Amino acid sequence: MTAISLPARKPGKASPATLVSATFATVRARLLIVSRYKGQLFNEILTPIVLAAMPILLGRATAGDRAAEVFLANTGTANYVGFMLIGSATFVIVSNAFWHIANWLRWEMETGTLESIYLTPTHRVFVAAGTGIYSTSRSTVGAFVAYLIGSAIMGINPFQGDLLIAFLFILCGLIPLFGMTLFYGALVLKLKEANAMLNLMQWVVNFLMGVFFPITVMPAAAQLVAKLFPPTWMTNGVRSAMLGVGYFFGEWYLDLAVLWFFMLAAPMLGIWAFKKIENSVRRNEGVGQF
Amino acid sequence: MTAITPTHQKPTNAQVFSTFWAMVRKELTVLSRYPVDFIASFVQIFIIVAIFTLAGLTFSETGQASEATSGVVVYGFVMFMFVSDTLWTIGFNVRHEQVQGTLEQLYLSPASKFASLIARVAHLLIWTSLLSLTSALIMRAMLGSLPVNNLGLALGLLAFILSGTFGIGFAFAALTLRVKEAANSLVNMFQFVFMILGACFFPFGALPEWMRWISRLIPTAYGVDIFRSTLMGYPAGFPELAPVNVEIVIVVVFGLVMPVLGYWLFRGAERHAREKGSLGEF
Repeated sequence: MTAISLPARKPGKASPATLVSATFATVRARLLIVSRYKGQLFNEILTPIVLAAMPILLGRATAGDRAAEVFLANTGTANYVGFMLIGSATFVIVSNAFWHIANWLRWEMETGTLESIYLTPTHRVFVAAGTGIYSTSRSTVGAFVAYLIGSAIMGINPFQGDLLIAFLFILCGLIPLFGMTLFYGALVLKLKEANAMLNLMQWVVNFLMGVFFPITVMPAAAQLVAKLFPPTWMTNGVRSAMLGVGYFFGEWYLDLAVLWFFMLAAPMLGIWAFKKIENSVRRNEGVGQF
Repeated sequence: MTAITPTHQKPTNAQVFSTFWAMVRKELTVLSRYPVDFIASFVQIFIIVAIFTLAGLTFSETGQASEATSGVVVYGFVMFMFVSDTLWTIGFNVRHEQVQGTLEQLYLSPASKFASLIARVAHLLIWTSLLSLTSALIMRAMLGSLPVNNLGLALGLLAFILSGTFGIGFAFAALTLRVKEAANSLVNMFQFVFMILGACFFPFGALPEWMRWISRLIPTAYGVDIFRSTLMGYPAGFPELAPVNVEIVIVVVFGLVMPVLGYWLFRGAERHAREKGSLGEF
Protein backbone atom coordinates (compact mmCIF):
# COMPACT_ATOMS: atom_id res chain seq x y z
CA MET A 1 0.00 0.00 0.00
CA THR A 2 1.39 3.40 -0.92
CA ALA A 3 0.97 6.15 1.62
CA ILE A 4 -0.25 9.45 0.24
CA SER A 5 2.29 12.07 1.18
CA LEU A 6 0.80 15.42 2.06
CA PRO A 7 2.59 18.67 1.17
CA ALA A 8 4.87 20.08 3.83
CA ARG A 9 2.70 23.19 4.11
CA LYS A 10 0.51 23.60 7.22
CA PRO A 11 -3.00 22.24 6.63
CA GLY A 12 -5.44 24.96 5.62
CA LYS A 13 -2.71 27.24 4.25
CA ALA A 14 -2.69 27.99 0.54
CA SER A 15 0.51 28.64 -1.42
CA PRO A 16 1.08 32.12 -2.95
CA ALA A 17 0.55 30.64 -6.42
CA THR A 18 -2.79 29.22 -5.31
CA LEU A 19 -3.83 32.58 -3.90
CA VAL A 20 -3.00 34.38 -7.14
CA SER A 21 -4.79 31.66 -9.06
CA ALA A 22 -7.89 32.07 -6.83
CA THR A 23 -7.81 35.84 -7.38
CA PHE A 24 -7.73 35.50 -11.15
CA ALA A 25 -10.28 32.71 -11.11
CA THR A 26 -12.62 35.18 -9.40
CA VAL A 27 -11.88 37.81 -12.06
CA ARG A 28 -12.54 35.28 -14.82
CA ALA A 29 -15.76 34.06 -13.24
CA ARG A 30 -17.10 37.61 -12.80
CA LEU A 31 -16.21 38.61 -16.35
CA LEU A 32 -17.81 35.44 -17.68
CA ILE A 33 -21.02 36.13 -15.75
CA VAL A 34 -21.27 39.74 -16.89
CA SER A 35 -20.57 38.76 -20.51
CA ARG A 36 -23.91 36.93 -20.39
CA TYR A 37 -25.72 40.24 -19.78
CA LYS A 38 -24.89 42.35 -22.80
CA GLY A 39 -27.66 44.80 -21.96
CA GLN A 40 -25.92 45.64 -18.69
CA LEU A 41 -22.67 46.38 -20.51
CA PHE A 42 -24.51 48.57 -22.99
CA ASN A 43 -26.14 50.47 -20.11
CA GLU A 44 -22.77 50.95 -18.49
CA ILE A 45 -21.55 52.84 -21.55
CA LEU A 46 -24.82 54.72 -21.93
CA THR A 47 -25.03 55.86 -18.28
CA PRO A 48 -22.16 58.40 -18.21
CA ILE A 49 -23.23 59.87 -21.56
CA VAL A 50 -26.84 60.35 -20.44
CA LEU A 51 -25.78 61.70 -17.03
CA ALA A 52 -23.48 64.24 -18.67
CA ALA A 53 -26.01 65.14 -21.36
CA MET A 54 -28.58 66.43 -18.85
CA PRO A 55 -26.58 69.33 -17.37
CA ILE A 56 -25.04 70.03 -20.79
CA LEU A 57 -28.46 70.41 -22.43
CA LEU A 58 -29.76 72.37 -19.45
CA GLY A 59 -26.75 74.70 -19.69
CA ARG A 60 -27.24 75.23 -23.42
CA ALA A 61 -30.92 75.98 -22.87
CA THR A 62 -30.19 78.36 -19.97
CA ALA A 63 -27.22 80.32 -21.25
CA GLY A 64 -27.69 79.81 -25.01
CA ASP A 65 -24.72 80.89 -27.09
CA ARG A 66 -22.97 82.25 -24.01
CA ALA A 67 -22.92 78.84 -22.24
CA ALA A 68 -19.16 78.37 -22.64
CA GLU A 69 -18.42 81.94 -21.57
CA VAL A 70 -20.59 81.77 -18.43
CA PHE A 71 -19.25 78.32 -17.57
CA LEU A 72 -15.68 79.61 -17.91
CA ALA A 73 -16.42 82.44 -15.47
CA ASN A 74 -17.93 80.00 -12.94
CA THR A 75 -15.56 77.04 -13.23
CA GLY A 76 -12.30 78.01 -14.91
CA THR A 77 -12.85 76.18 -18.20
CA ALA A 78 -15.02 76.90 -21.20
CA ASN A 79 -15.12 73.23 -22.15
CA TYR A 80 -18.29 72.35 -20.23
CA VAL A 81 -18.86 69.22 -22.32
CA GLY A 82 -15.45 67.81 -21.35
CA PHE A 83 -16.00 68.88 -17.73
CA MET A 84 -19.31 66.99 -17.47
CA LEU A 85 -18.11 63.94 -19.41
CA ILE A 86 -14.99 63.55 -17.26
CA GLY A 87 -17.13 64.00 -14.14
CA SER A 88 -19.71 61.40 -15.15
CA ALA A 89 -17.13 58.88 -16.41
CA THR A 90 -15.16 59.12 -13.14
CA PHE A 91 -18.40 58.88 -11.19
CA VAL A 92 -19.28 55.62 -12.93
CA ILE A 93 -15.88 54.15 -11.96
CA VAL A 94 -16.37 55.21 -8.33
CA SER A 95 -20.00 54.21 -8.09
CA ASN A 96 -19.35 50.81 -9.71
CA ALA A 97 -16.48 50.09 -7.34
CA PHE A 98 -18.85 50.50 -4.39
CA TRP A 99 -21.70 48.59 -6.02
CA HIS A 100 -19.62 45.67 -7.27
CA ILE A 101 -18.13 44.96 -3.86
CA ALA A 102 -21.46 45.42 -2.07
CA ASN A 103 -23.36 43.34 -4.63
CA TRP A 104 -20.77 40.60 -4.55
CA LEU A 105 -21.08 40.27 -0.76
CA ARG A 106 -24.87 40.43 -0.87
CA TRP A 107 -25.04 37.90 -3.69
CA GLU A 108 -22.78 35.41 -1.84
CA MET A 109 -24.93 35.98 1.25
CA GLU A 110 -28.18 35.30 -0.59
CA THR A 111 -26.92 32.29 -2.50
CA GLY A 112 -25.54 30.89 0.75
CA THR A 113 -21.91 30.73 -0.37
CA LEU A 114 -20.44 33.48 1.81
CA GLU A 115 -19.99 31.17 4.79
CA SER A 116 -18.33 28.62 2.50
CA ILE A 117 -15.84 31.25 1.34
CA TYR A 118 -14.87 31.77 4.98
CA LEU A 119 -14.20 28.04 5.32
CA THR A 120 -11.95 27.62 2.27
CA PRO A 121 -8.15 27.76 2.66
CA THR A 122 -8.05 30.75 0.28
CA HIS A 123 -8.34 33.86 2.38
CA ARG A 124 -11.43 35.92 1.51
CA VAL A 125 -9.22 38.98 0.89
CA PHE A 126 -8.01 37.33 -2.33
CA VAL A 127 -11.56 36.64 -3.50
CA ALA A 128 -12.43 40.28 -2.70
CA ALA A 129 -9.29 41.40 -4.54
CA GLY A 130 -10.46 39.42 -7.58
CA THR A 131 -13.80 41.23 -7.44
CA GLY A 132 -11.91 44.53 -7.12
CA ILE A 133 -9.73 43.82 -10.18
CA TYR A 134 -12.81 42.77 -12.14
CA SER A 135 -14.65 45.94 -11.13
CA THR A 136 -11.68 48.17 -12.01
CA SER A 137 -11.18 46.65 -15.43
CA ARG A 138 -14.89 46.62 -16.28
CA SER A 139 -15.58 50.17 -15.08
CA THR A 140 -12.42 51.78 -16.39
CA VAL A 141 -12.85 50.33 -19.87
CA GLY A 142 -16.58 51.18 -19.83
CA ALA A 143 -15.96 54.75 -18.64
CA PHE A 144 -13.22 55.29 -21.21
CA VAL A 145 -15.40 54.02 -24.08
CA ALA A 146 -18.29 56.17 -22.83
CA TYR A 147 -15.99 59.20 -22.69
CA LEU A 148 -14.82 58.59 -26.26
CA ILE A 149 -18.34 58.05 -27.62
CA GLY A 150 -19.72 61.01 -25.62
CA SER A 151 -16.92 63.26 -26.94
CA ALA A 152 -17.62 62.13 -30.51
CA ILE A 153 -21.38 62.74 -30.16
CA MET A 154 -20.93 66.15 -28.55
CA GLY A 155 -18.13 67.21 -30.83
CA ILE A 156 -15.11 67.69 -28.55
CA ASN A 157 -11.55 66.44 -28.75
CA PRO A 158 -11.25 63.70 -26.11
CA PHE A 159 -7.44 63.81 -26.04
CA GLN A 160 -6.43 67.23 -24.78
CA GLY A 161 -4.22 68.54 -22.01
CA ASP A 162 -1.74 66.42 -20.09
CA LEU A 163 -3.03 62.88 -20.56
CA LEU A 164 -0.21 61.22 -18.64
CA ILE A 165 -0.92 63.22 -15.48
CA ALA A 166 -4.64 62.53 -15.88
CA PHE A 167 -3.88 58.82 -16.12
CA LEU A 168 -1.69 59.05 -13.00
CA PHE A 169 -4.56 60.61 -11.05
CA ILE A 170 -6.91 57.80 -12.09
CA LEU A 171 -4.35 55.14 -11.24
CA CYS A 172 -3.56 56.62 -7.82
CA GLY A 173 -7.23 57.27 -7.13
CA LEU A 174 -8.25 53.65 -7.63
CA ILE A 175 -6.35 52.27 -4.61
CA PRO A 176 -7.93 54.50 -1.95
CA LEU A 177 -11.23 53.97 -3.73
CA PHE A 178 -11.08 50.21 -3.22
CA GLY A 179 -9.98 50.80 0.36
CA MET A 180 -13.16 52.77 0.82
CA THR A 181 -15.32 50.10 -0.77
CA LEU A 182 -14.59 48.00 2.31
CA PHE A 183 -16.75 50.46 4.27
CA TYR A 184 -19.56 49.59 1.87
CA GLY A 185 -18.84 45.91 2.33
CA ALA A 186 -19.01 46.35 6.10
CA LEU A 187 -22.35 48.14 5.70
CA VAL A 188 -23.77 45.22 3.72
CA LEU A 189 -22.47 42.69 6.26
CA LYS A 190 -24.13 44.63 9.05
CA LEU A 191 -27.37 45.87 7.49
CA LYS A 192 -27.87 43.00 4.97
CA GLU A 193 -30.65 44.53 2.80
CA ALA A 194 -28.76 47.79 2.25
CA ASN A 195 -29.92 48.68 -1.28
CA ALA A 196 -31.57 51.99 -0.35
CA MET A 197 -28.57 52.97 1.74
CA LEU A 198 -26.26 52.15 -1.15
CA ASN A 199 -28.44 54.14 -3.55
CA LEU A 200 -28.25 57.09 -1.22
CA MET A 201 -24.49 56.74 -0.87
CA GLN A 202 -24.20 56.77 -4.64
CA TRP A 203 -25.76 60.23 -4.80
CA VAL A 204 -23.74 61.44 -1.80
CA VAL A 205 -20.63 60.37 -3.70
CA ASN A 206 -21.88 62.21 -6.79
CA PHE A 207 -22.42 65.34 -4.72
CA LEU A 208 -19.08 65.20 -2.89
CA MET A 209 -17.05 64.46 -6.03
CA GLY A 210 -18.49 67.48 -7.81
CA VAL A 211 -19.51 65.43 -10.82
CA PHE A 212 -21.39 68.30 -12.47
CA PHE A 213 -19.93 71.33 -10.73
CA PRO A 214 -16.68 72.44 -9.09
CA ILE A 215 -16.75 71.81 -5.35
CA THR A 216 -15.94 75.49 -4.78
CA VAL A 217 -19.64 76.29 -5.32
CA MET A 218 -20.53 74.25 -2.22
CA PRO A 219 -20.67 75.74 1.29
CA ALA A 220 -17.31 75.77 3.15
CA ALA A 221 -18.22 72.88 5.47
CA ALA A 222 -19.35 70.71 2.55
CA GLN A 223 -16.11 71.54 0.70
CA LEU A 224 -14.10 70.32 3.68
CA VAL A 225 -16.01 67.02 3.76
CA ALA A 226 -15.59 66.68 -0.01
CA LYS A 227 -11.82 67.08 0.31
CA LEU A 228 -11.69 64.19 2.78
CA PHE A 229 -13.06 62.01 0.03
CA PRO A 230 -10.31 60.64 -2.30
CA PRO A 231 -12.42 60.52 -5.52
CA THR A 232 -12.82 64.32 -5.26
CA TRP A 233 -9.04 64.66 -5.72
CA MET A 234 -9.08 62.11 -8.52
CA THR A 235 -11.83 63.92 -10.45
CA ASN A 236 -10.32 67.36 -9.96
CA GLY A 237 -6.86 66.03 -10.86
CA VAL A 238 -8.09 64.58 -14.16
CA ARG A 239 -10.05 67.75 -14.98
CA SER A 240 -7.12 70.00 -14.13
CA ALA A 241 -4.71 67.91 -16.21
CA MET A 242 -7.00 67.81 -19.22
CA LEU A 243 -9.00 71.04 -19.01
CA GLY A 244 -6.89 73.26 -16.77
CA VAL A 245 -9.55 74.02 -14.13
CA GLY A 246 -6.85 74.34 -11.46
CA TYR A 247 -5.42 71.97 -8.86
CA PHE A 248 -6.50 72.39 -5.23
CA PHE A 249 -2.88 73.07 -4.16
CA GLY A 250 -1.86 74.84 -7.36
CA GLU A 251 0.53 72.09 -8.62
CA TRP A 252 -0.26 68.60 -9.88
CA TYR A 253 2.37 66.88 -7.73
CA LEU A 254 0.99 68.41 -4.52
CA ASP A 255 -2.51 67.15 -5.29
CA LEU A 256 -1.06 63.79 -6.25
CA ALA A 257 0.79 63.70 -2.91
CA VAL A 258 -2.55 64.01 -1.14
CA LEU A 259 -3.80 61.03 -3.15
CA TRP A 260 -0.66 59.12 -2.10
CA PHE A 261 -1.56 59.80 1.51
CA PHE A 262 -5.06 58.45 0.84
CA MET A 263 -3.50 55.43 -0.84
CA LEU A 264 -2.11 54.47 2.54
CA ALA A 265 -4.83 55.75 4.85
CA ALA A 266 -8.02 54.65 3.05
CA PRO A 267 -7.18 50.93 2.70
CA MET A 268 -5.97 50.77 6.31
CA LEU A 269 -9.12 52.46 7.59
CA GLY A 270 -11.28 50.31 5.32
CA ILE A 271 -9.68 47.07 6.48
CA TRP A 272 -9.98 48.14 10.12
CA ALA A 273 -13.68 48.98 9.75
CA PHE A 274 -14.43 45.82 7.77
CA LYS A 275 -12.64 43.55 10.28
CA LYS A 276 -14.40 45.20 13.20
CA ILE A 277 -17.86 44.69 11.69
CA GLU A 278 -16.95 41.25 10.37
CA ASN A 279 -15.83 40.09 13.82
CA SER A 280 -18.97 41.41 15.41
CA VAL A 281 -21.15 39.69 12.79
CA ARG A 282 -19.26 36.39 13.13
CA ARG A 283 -19.57 36.52 16.92
CA ASN A 284 -23.30 37.19 16.73
CA GLU A 285 -25.58 36.04 13.93
CA GLY A 286 -22.82 34.73 11.60
CA VAL A 287 -22.08 35.71 8.00
CA GLY A 288 -24.48 33.19 6.49
CA GLN A 289 -27.62 34.94 7.66
CA PHE A 290 -29.45 37.35 5.38
CA MET B 1 -72.28 12.04 -2.32
CA THR B 2 -72.39 15.59 -3.61
CA ALA B 3 -69.83 16.65 -6.20
CA ILE B 4 -68.24 20.05 -5.66
CA THR B 5 -68.51 22.05 -8.83
CA PRO B 6 -66.06 24.96 -9.12
CA THR B 7 -67.73 28.31 -9.72
CA HIS B 8 -66.34 30.77 -12.23
CA GLN B 9 -67.96 33.92 -10.93
CA LYS B 10 -66.42 37.31 -11.52
CA PRO B 11 -65.38 39.03 -8.27
CA THR B 12 -67.77 41.74 -7.13
CA ASN B 13 -66.67 45.38 -6.88
CA ALA B 14 -66.52 45.07 -3.11
CA GLN B 15 -64.23 42.04 -3.43
CA VAL B 16 -61.99 43.86 -5.91
CA PHE B 17 -61.73 46.83 -3.56
CA SER B 18 -61.06 44.54 -0.61
CA THR B 19 -58.21 42.84 -2.54
CA PHE B 20 -56.84 46.22 -3.53
CA TRP B 21 -56.91 47.49 0.04
CA ALA B 22 -55.41 44.30 1.46
CA MET B 23 -52.52 44.54 -1.03
CA VAL B 24 -51.95 48.24 -0.30
CA ARG B 25 -51.87 47.43 3.43
CA LYS B 26 -49.42 44.60 2.83
CA GLU B 27 -47.14 46.88 0.76
CA LEU B 28 -47.30 49.59 3.43
CA THR B 29 -46.48 47.04 6.14
CA VAL B 30 -43.45 45.83 4.15
CA LEU B 31 -42.38 49.46 3.63
CA SER B 32 -42.67 50.21 7.33
CA ARG B 33 -40.37 47.26 8.16
CA TYR B 34 -37.46 49.03 6.45
CA PRO B 35 -37.27 52.48 8.07
CA VAL B 36 -33.68 52.99 6.87
CA ASP B 37 -34.83 52.49 3.27
CA PHE B 38 -37.66 54.92 3.88
CA ILE B 39 -35.43 57.70 5.20
CA ALA B 40 -32.65 57.00 2.69
CA SER B 41 -34.98 57.39 -0.30
CA PHE B 42 -36.19 60.71 1.12
CA VAL B 43 -32.68 62.08 1.69
CA GLN B 44 -31.66 60.83 -1.76
CA ILE B 45 -34.19 63.12 -3.41
CA PHE B 46 -32.76 66.15 -1.60
CA ILE B 47 -29.27 65.31 -2.80
CA ILE B 48 -30.38 64.78 -6.42
CA VAL B 49 -32.16 68.12 -6.27
CA ALA B 50 -29.04 69.83 -4.89
CA ILE B 51 -26.81 68.23 -7.56
CA PHE B 52 -28.93 69.33 -10.50
CA THR B 53 -29.55 72.76 -9.01
CA LEU B 54 -25.82 73.40 -8.52
CA ALA B 55 -25.11 72.00 -12.01
CA GLY B 56 -27.68 74.37 -13.50
CA LEU B 57 -26.27 77.32 -11.61
CA THR B 58 -22.81 76.86 -13.18
CA PHE B 59 -24.46 78.26 -16.32
CA SER B 60 -26.02 81.22 -14.54
CA GLU B 61 -24.46 84.67 -14.52
CA THR B 62 -26.38 85.88 -11.50
CA GLY B 63 -26.24 82.75 -9.36
CA GLN B 64 -30.03 82.47 -9.69
CA ALA B 65 -32.19 80.79 -12.30
CA SER B 66 -34.87 82.54 -14.36
CA GLU B 67 -38.52 81.70 -13.68
CA ALA B 68 -38.77 79.74 -16.93
CA THR B 69 -35.68 77.65 -16.11
CA SER B 70 -36.96 76.91 -12.59
CA GLY B 71 -40.32 75.86 -14.00
CA VAL B 72 -38.77 73.58 -16.61
CA VAL B 73 -36.38 71.88 -14.17
CA VAL B 74 -38.64 71.61 -11.11
CA TYR B 75 -41.79 70.41 -12.88
CA GLY B 76 -39.75 68.19 -15.19
CA PHE B 77 -38.17 66.58 -12.15
CA VAL B 78 -41.58 66.07 -10.51
CA MET B 79 -42.85 64.40 -13.68
CA PHE B 80 -39.75 62.25 -13.87
CA MET B 81 -40.31 60.98 -10.32
CA PHE B 82 -43.96 60.13 -10.95
CA VAL B 83 -43.38 58.54 -14.33
CA SER B 84 -40.38 56.44 -13.30
CA ASP B 85 -42.18 55.24 -10.15
CA THR B 86 -45.34 54.16 -11.93
CA LEU B 87 -43.45 52.89 -14.95
CA TRP B 88 -41.33 50.24 -13.38
CA THR B 89 -42.73 49.54 -9.91
CA ILE B 90 -45.43 47.19 -11.21
CA GLY B 91 -42.96 45.12 -13.22
CA PHE B 92 -40.42 45.15 -10.42
CA ASN B 93 -43.02 43.91 -7.95
CA VAL B 94 -44.15 41.12 -10.24
CA ARG B 95 -40.51 40.08 -10.60
CA HIS B 96 -40.06 40.21 -6.83
CA GLU B 97 -43.04 37.90 -6.29
CA GLN B 98 -41.61 35.59 -8.95
CA VAL B 99 -38.21 35.43 -7.23
CA GLN B 100 -39.82 34.98 -3.81
CA GLY B 101 -41.90 32.16 -5.24
CA THR B 102 -45.27 33.68 -4.33
CA LEU B 103 -46.47 34.70 -7.79
CA GLU B 104 -47.80 31.27 -8.69
CA GLN B 105 -49.70 31.05 -5.40
CA LEU B 106 -51.20 34.47 -6.02
CA TYR B 107 -52.57 33.19 -9.31
CA LEU B 108 -54.18 30.23 -7.64
CA SER B 109 -56.26 32.49 -5.41
CA PRO B 110 -59.61 33.82 -6.66
CA ALA B 111 -58.56 37.43 -5.81
CA SER B 112 -58.70 40.08 -8.53
CA LYS B 113 -55.41 40.21 -10.44
CA PHE B 114 -56.13 43.75 -11.62
CA ALA B 115 -56.55 45.07 -8.07
CA SER B 116 -53.39 43.30 -7.01
CA LEU B 117 -51.46 44.95 -9.85
CA ILE B 118 -52.76 48.47 -9.17
CA ALA B 119 -52.11 48.12 -5.45
CA ARG B 120 -48.40 47.64 -6.10
CA VAL B 121 -48.05 51.23 -7.14
CA ALA B 122 -50.86 52.98 -5.24
CA HIS B 123 -48.95 53.37 -1.98
CA LEU B 124 -45.95 54.72 -3.88
CA LEU B 125 -48.05 57.47 -5.41
CA ILE B 126 -48.77 58.89 -1.96
CA TRP B 127 -45.08 58.75 -1.11
CA THR B 128 -43.99 60.23 -4.46
CA SER B 129 -46.52 63.07 -4.12
CA LEU B 130 -45.03 63.95 -0.76
CA LEU B 131 -41.50 63.79 -2.13
CA SER B 132 -42.42 65.85 -5.20
CA LEU B 133 -44.01 68.57 -3.13
CA THR B 134 -41.05 68.78 -0.78
CA SER B 135 -38.45 68.71 -3.54
CA ALA B 136 -40.36 71.41 -5.46
CA LEU B 137 -40.27 73.59 -2.35
CA ILE B 138 -36.54 73.03 -1.83
CA MET B 139 -35.75 73.70 -5.47
CA ARG B 140 -37.86 76.83 -5.32
CA ALA B 141 -35.81 78.02 -2.35
CA MET B 142 -32.52 77.17 -4.10
CA LEU B 143 -33.37 78.50 -7.55
CA GLY B 144 -35.14 81.68 -6.50
CA SER B 145 -38.62 81.61 -7.98
CA LEU B 146 -41.13 79.13 -9.29
CA PRO B 147 -44.19 79.92 -11.41
CA VAL B 148 -47.48 78.31 -10.27
CA ASN B 149 -50.46 78.79 -12.65
CA ASN B 150 -53.54 76.75 -13.63
CA LEU B 151 -53.06 74.34 -10.72
CA GLY B 152 -56.44 72.60 -11.18
CA LEU B 153 -55.89 71.90 -14.87
CA ALA B 154 -52.32 70.74 -14.22
CA LEU B 155 -53.50 68.25 -11.58
CA GLY B 156 -56.20 66.97 -13.92
CA LEU B 157 -53.60 66.46 -16.65
CA LEU B 158 -51.31 64.75 -14.15
CA ALA B 159 -54.09 62.24 -13.40
CA PHE B 160 -54.34 61.34 -17.11
CA ILE B 161 -50.56 61.13 -17.47
CA LEU B 162 -50.34 58.82 -14.47
CA SER B 163 -53.17 56.68 -15.78
CA GLY B 164 -51.24 56.35 -19.06
CA THR B 165 -48.00 55.45 -17.32
CA PHE B 166 -49.92 52.84 -15.30
CA GLY B 167 -50.68 51.32 -18.68
CA ILE B 168 -46.99 51.37 -19.64
CA GLY B 169 -46.30 49.84 -16.21
CA PHE B 170 -48.65 46.94 -17.06
CA ALA B 171 -46.89 46.49 -20.39
CA PHE B 172 -43.52 46.40 -18.60
CA ALA B 173 -44.91 43.85 -16.15
CA ALA B 174 -45.88 41.76 -19.19
CA LEU B 175 -42.34 42.12 -20.51
CA THR B 176 -40.97 41.05 -17.12
CA LEU B 177 -42.98 37.83 -17.30
CA ARG B 178 -41.52 37.16 -20.72
CA VAL B 179 -37.85 38.19 -20.47
CA LYS B 180 -37.37 37.82 -16.67
CA GLU B 181 -33.98 39.18 -15.43
CA ALA B 182 -33.24 41.02 -18.70
CA ALA B 183 -36.20 43.32 -17.91
CA ASN B 184 -34.05 45.18 -15.37
CA SER B 185 -31.56 46.29 -18.00
CA LEU B 186 -34.38 47.17 -20.38
CA VAL B 187 -36.12 49.29 -17.74
CA ASN B 188 -32.87 51.11 -16.98
CA MET B 189 -32.33 51.78 -20.64
CA PHE B 190 -35.88 53.05 -21.12
CA GLN B 191 -35.46 55.28 -18.08
CA PHE B 192 -32.35 56.85 -19.63
CA VAL B 193 -34.10 57.28 -22.95
CA PHE B 194 -37.02 58.93 -21.18
CA MET B 195 -34.65 61.24 -19.28
CA ILE B 196 -33.27 62.58 -22.56
CA LEU B 197 -36.18 62.33 -25.02
CA GLY B 198 -38.70 63.34 -22.33
CA ALA B 199 -36.55 66.42 -21.61
CA CYS B 200 -37.21 66.13 -17.88
CA PHE B 201 -34.34 68.37 -16.81
CA PHE B 202 -34.18 70.83 -19.70
CA PRO B 203 -36.51 72.30 -22.33
CA PHE B 204 -37.18 70.34 -25.52
CA GLY B 205 -35.59 73.24 -27.38
CA ALA B 206 -32.19 72.04 -26.15
CA LEU B 207 -32.55 68.81 -28.11
CA PRO B 208 -31.39 68.63 -31.73
CA GLU B 209 -34.30 68.82 -34.19
CA TRP B 210 -34.11 65.11 -35.16
CA MET B 211 -34.33 64.11 -31.51
CA ARG B 212 -37.33 66.38 -31.00
CA TRP B 213 -39.06 64.43 -33.77
CA ILE B 214 -38.47 61.21 -31.85
CA SER B 215 -39.80 62.91 -28.69
CA ARG B 216 -42.96 63.72 -30.62
CA LEU B 217 -43.58 59.97 -30.96
CA ILE B 218 -43.53 59.44 -27.17
CA PRO B 219 -46.80 60.27 -25.36
CA THR B 220 -45.09 60.77 -21.98
CA ALA B 221 -42.98 63.53 -23.56
CA TYR B 222 -46.23 65.41 -24.28
CA GLY B 223 -47.15 64.76 -20.65
CA VAL B 224 -43.98 66.45 -19.40
CA ASP B 225 -44.40 69.30 -21.86
CA ILE B 226 -48.05 70.09 -21.17
CA PHE B 227 -47.78 69.62 -17.40
CA ARG B 228 -44.97 72.11 -16.98
CA SER B 229 -46.25 74.52 -19.62
CA THR B 230 -49.63 74.63 -17.85
CA LEU B 231 -48.06 75.32 -14.47
CA MET B 232 -45.81 77.96 -16.03
CA GLY B 233 -48.88 79.71 -17.52
CA TYR B 234 -47.98 78.96 -21.19
CA PRO B 235 -45.14 81.48 -21.63
CA ALA B 236 -43.96 82.21 -25.20
CA GLY B 237 -42.59 79.06 -26.83
CA PHE B 238 -44.41 76.67 -24.45
CA PRO B 239 -45.63 74.00 -24.95
CA GLU B 240 -42.80 73.11 -27.26
CA LEU B 241 -43.90 69.93 -29.06
CA ALA B 242 -47.41 70.87 -30.29
CA PRO B 243 -50.17 73.46 -29.67
CA VAL B 244 -51.87 73.36 -26.22
CA ASN B 245 -55.13 71.76 -27.44
CA VAL B 246 -53.34 69.07 -29.39
CA GLU B 247 -51.15 68.15 -26.40
CA ILE B 248 -54.18 68.02 -24.09
CA VAL B 249 -55.98 65.67 -26.49
CA ILE B 250 -52.89 63.43 -26.78
CA VAL B 251 -52.52 63.23 -22.99
CA VAL B 252 -56.23 62.48 -22.42
CA VAL B 253 -56.28 59.75 -25.11
CA PHE B 254 -53.04 58.32 -23.70
CA GLY B 255 -54.57 58.26 -20.21
CA LEU B 256 -57.68 56.47 -21.43
CA VAL B 257 -56.25 54.02 -23.96
CA MET B 258 -52.88 53.00 -22.52
CA PRO B 259 -54.18 51.31 -19.32
CA VAL B 260 -56.54 49.16 -21.40
CA LEU B 261 -53.80 48.30 -23.90
CA GLY B 262 -51.20 47.66 -21.15
CA TYR B 263 -53.55 45.43 -19.18
CA TRP B 264 -54.45 43.51 -22.33
CA LEU B 265 -50.75 42.92 -22.98
CA PHE B 266 -50.25 41.84 -19.39
CA ARG B 267 -53.12 39.35 -19.56
CA GLY B 268 -51.63 37.96 -22.79
CA ALA B 269 -48.20 37.48 -21.19
CA GLU B 270 -49.80 36.02 -18.09
CA ARG B 271 -51.86 33.53 -20.14
CA HIS B 272 -48.74 32.56 -22.08
CA ALA B 273 -46.78 32.03 -18.83
CA ARG B 274 -49.58 29.95 -17.32
CA GLU B 275 -49.86 27.77 -20.41
CA LYS B 276 -46.10 27.24 -20.46
CA GLY B 277 -46.02 26.77 -16.70
CA SER B 278 -43.33 29.43 -16.38
CA LEU B 279 -45.04 31.73 -13.85
CA GLY B 280 -42.90 30.40 -11.05
CA GLU B 281 -39.72 30.30 -13.16
CA PHE B 282 -37.13 33.01 -12.73
